[in-house]
Amino acid sequence: MENVVLVCTAGMSTSLLVSKMKKIAAENNIQINIEALAQSELKNYSKKIDLILLGPQVKYLLNNLERDYQNTQAKFAVIDSIQYGTLNGKAVLNQVLTLLDKKVI
Amino acid sequence: MIQIKKIEKVYQFLKNMNEQQEGVSAAEIADELDSNRANISRYLNKLYRDERLVKIQGRPVLYKLKSGANHKNTKKTVNRDIDLKANYINQKSKLDEIIGAKGSLKNQIQQAKAAILYPPNGLHTLLLGETGVGKSMFANLMHGFAVDSEMIAKDAPFVQFNCADYSDNPQLLISQIFGVKNGAYTGANKDRDGLLKKADQGVLFLDEVHRLPPQGQEMLFTFIDNGHFRPLGESEKKMTAQVQIIAATTEEPGSFLLNTFVRRIPMVIKLPSLKNRGLKERFRLIENFLKEESKNIGKSIYIDRNSLVSFLLYDCPNNIGQLASDIQLAGAKSFLNYKTSDNEYILISQEDIPEHVQKGILNLHHKRSEVENLFKGQSEVLEFSYSEENKIVNLDSDTKNEVGTAKPGKLFYDVIEDKLNSLRQENMNKEKIQKILNIDIEAHFKKHLESLPNIINKSDINKIVESEIIEITEAILQLSSRKLQRKFDKKIFLALALHLQKSIERIKAGEKIYHPELNNIRINHFQEFMTAIEAASLIDKKFEIETPLDEIGYISMFLIKNPYQSKNKSKSEVAVYILMHGNSTATSMADVANKLLGENFAVGMDMPLDMEAEKFFKHCSAEINKNAKDRDILLLVDMGSLTGFAEMMEAKNNRKIKIIDMVSTPIVIDACRKAILGQSIEEIYNNTLNYIAQKRNKALAKNDIFTDVKAEAQIKKSKNLIITACFTGEGASSKLKEIIADKYSPANLEIISLNIIDYDNFINKIKEYQKDYNLLAVVSTVDIKKADIPFIPAVDILSGKAFNQLDTKMDNLDSYNKIKNSLGEHLEKLNSSKIVNECKNIIDSILNEAKMKIDNDVKIGILMHIIFLIEKLLQGEKGKTFAQLNDYLSTNQSFIDQVEKKMLFLEKEYAVKIPQDEIAFIAQSFLENSKSKNNVDKN
Repeated sequence: MENVVLVCTAGMSTSLLVSKMKKIAAENNIQINIEALAQSELKNYSKKIDLILLGPQVKYLLNNLERDYQNTQAKFAVIDSIQYGTLNGKAVLNQVLTLLDKKVI
Repeated sequence: MIQIKKIEKVYQFLKNMNEQQEGVSAAEIADELDSNRANISRYLNKLYRDERLVKIQGRPVLYKLKSGANHKNTKKTVNRDIDLKANYINQKSKLDEIIGAKGSLKNQIQQAKAAILYPPNGLHTLLLGETGVGKSMFANLMHGFAVDSEMIAKDAPFVQFNCADYSDNPQLLISQIFGVKNGAYTGANKDRDGLLKKADQGVLFLDEVHRLPPQGQEMLFTFIDNGHFRPLGESEKKMTAQVQIIAATTEEPGSFLLNTFVRRIPMVIKLPSLKNRGLKERFRLIENFLKEESKNIGKSIYIDRNSLVSFLLYDCPNNIGQLASDIQLAGAKSFLNYKTSDNEYILISQEDIPEHVQKGILNLHHKRSEVENLFKGQSEVLEFSYSEENKIVNLDSDTKNEVGTAKPGKLFYDVIEDKLNSLRQENMNKEKIQKILNIDIEAHFKKHLESLPNIINKSDINKIVESEIIEITEAILQLSSRKLQRKFDKKIFLALALHLQKSIERIKAGEKIYHPELNNIRINHFQEFMTAIEAASLIDKKFEIETPLDEIGYISMFLIKNPYQSKNKSKSEVAVYILMHGNSTATSMADVANKLLGENFAVGMDMPLDMEAEKFFKHCSAEINKNAKDRDILLLVDMGSLTGFAEMMEAKNNRKIKIIDMVSTPIVIDACRKAILGQSIEEIYNNTLNYIAQKRNKALAKNDIFTDVKAEAQIKKSKNLIITACFTGEGASSKLKEIIADKYSPANLEIISLNIIDYDNFINKIKEYQKDYNLLAVVSTVDIKKADIPFIPAVDILSGKAFNQLDTKMDNLDSYNKIKNSLGEHLEKLNSSKIVNECKNIIDSILNEAKMKIDNDVKIGILMHIIFLIEKLLQGEKGKTFAQLNDYLSTNQSFIDQVEKKMLFLEKEYAVKIPQDEIAFIAQSFLENSKSKNNVDKN
């Protein structure tokens, strides 16, 4: 099962978004693991990561991540700010599915 | 009197209650006394206010006798020695609150207090002063002071009588004051008490006492000297009464008549005329009256400096009374302007003030320095509001409604559509909406036509309307002339042409057209409607469109005979009568309303205080039957017995009569306006009640924390502003306004054009607007170099260069609105709209001050972060720790300080403490993102 993490400054705003995404994923029988992390928690995160989505406010981490994860399969992206601001779980889930080459809902 | 008896019954009941008992509720007393609970509650409250009872809070509220309160009964306290009274002379009372209490009226107030407190029963007093200096008010306040100082009982009467009222009938006049015995003169067919008896234990105020005939004077002096009197026609029995006389006269000092009074009445107080009271006090009086008006209207009143100066300096022979009514007139006139035009504020300017007041400004050169001193630090337009807290709320909620109704150039169905949408949002049912719209549509249609210039050449029309439109208009009117056997004038031609120009554009663009009264038109103006259908087919052919039925409804309206002359006077089915206590209150209110409406519509009926209700009722009834035979009647009354009139009249006359109490001038004007427009009695009645209720709610709103939060959210909600400016505020700036309005028209955008006659003033105005609005841009012909004002040079708008910039702003606007809407359901502690605006402002100002740039999506990210931070803190959660906080703090100290300072607003607003770690996180998002942006930019 793919593992996706959403990262923001303190994991507060993403956690709400993640719970919405999980719910929609479950409703559509999509097997996927999604977690919200604070930026500081990412370093000590030991599981395999397939996709890292960044909150727009931590967009600056992008360069570092590309460097840190260059030897892995992990992909990176920034969450669209409007979807983020409106906590649009479905749209962000679709962004995830697209990036993982899966069928969108 | 009955009331007093009952109230005493309640009091006795409580008195007889067992001391140990905890208290008794209103319901229990009502049961015991076999009376209505509401009445008992009222008495209890009165007793409580009189400090004869104590309340024990709870459910139900219990009442108990105040221990040791028995002696504070209705009679005067027995022990009154001079020492006790000496204390009262310095006691603060209403007398000390009047304007000039520390200035021109200082001595008079000392005199008045002495007259009241003089043992054993006070001194009879003569008030001297010109008409309108405030003698009645002063007498009233003296009575109040007598009550406060316990010289007389709390419910001691204050009886007011104007001797001029009956001066042509000396017998009647004397009998009014002293009473009359059966048979004293023809028509005196029963014994009757006079006012002196009615004022027993209290105060009798005799205004214009010089009109008392010699016989009456002698009787009065006898009473003053000995304390007894004989009713007219009574030869044996002497009567006594304990009354303090306050007499007033406008007689010139030195006149023979006055000398007698001055000699016989022990205390003489002379009230100064307005011109002797100094500009400072006059200013405060004006301020007071304007606030009073603002209170009546329920909105702030603005007045330009010149008008205020006129009020300060004009020759005002009838003193404060005249000043008050002149201000009232100006206030009401500007209110009407505001109601009928597109003014966003109630502004009193020179055109609104009476001509004799306008002349005041001519006296400026005499008093220039004094006036300038008064106005120091004030702006060109001054605002008066009865309640500072209420001010912003009022401005917002009301102007918003008004803005939609009458923007010039807006076609009336745009207006109707706006209105329709807002009414729908209020969840009104369809019928009600139609009713409201129906009134509006007619009013707008008339106004639209009336506002067009009278003589127009076709060549002129050509300049504004395309030739195709002119052709079709000609064709339609020719067709209609033939069909309807009627000529159409140039005004209709222009109106229809303008209308078609817009509506054809609309139809082409696929926009919806809605006519709320389509069915009415179809039924009542069948001929015109059928003609309009033919006209529509001409249009369809020529422009290859399909004219919807609703639009045909509009076209029909142009074809109706004399659509703009339908202000038919006899058409109004409702007559408005104003009934009020006092010698001239009702008639002067009616005068003001009629002057403003330009029509003798309202009728005022005065009820002198000594007239019996029964008599007044007969008088009114007769008047109404004579002059308003077949019409429904709206009675506007002040209070008391008058409120029962409607039922009494309705029973006698066979028609609808409605009554509204506690009315003020704006209510009168509003009701008359509606009646003239032909609304039905029910509509006027209900609308007026709503209007009053709204005002009341607004006044209550400030006490209600929830409405407060809501109101504030409303203010800060999606109100966006673009200011256009040039030197005059009319030329370039209004052109700029047009250009911008053409391009952007979101509902939540306002565009205001300002002048830059005085640069500082201009900047101040912008700052004022920034408090209430989200200022998107100031487009100006003059450079504005202020970091916190988003300036766009006018040239860039004209060249189109700045539109990119504005586009982004508009897009952002949109995205923030989306965020507000969807965040609402996720936030438990916060109001999404409010917090989004606040955070957005904070982020913008941090960026501004640090001259930093970050991407828009990062802004949204930070915004979300801060919002959830506050929400979590409010829920009592702890944040994350920032690794190596101290290092980070010290390396970025100045920026972190800036951020912290800005976050202080949120800490105060939501009473939370934002930890240092969190400040550091926020600062980091700004700093890191701006760095990477720079990198990207460089790449």
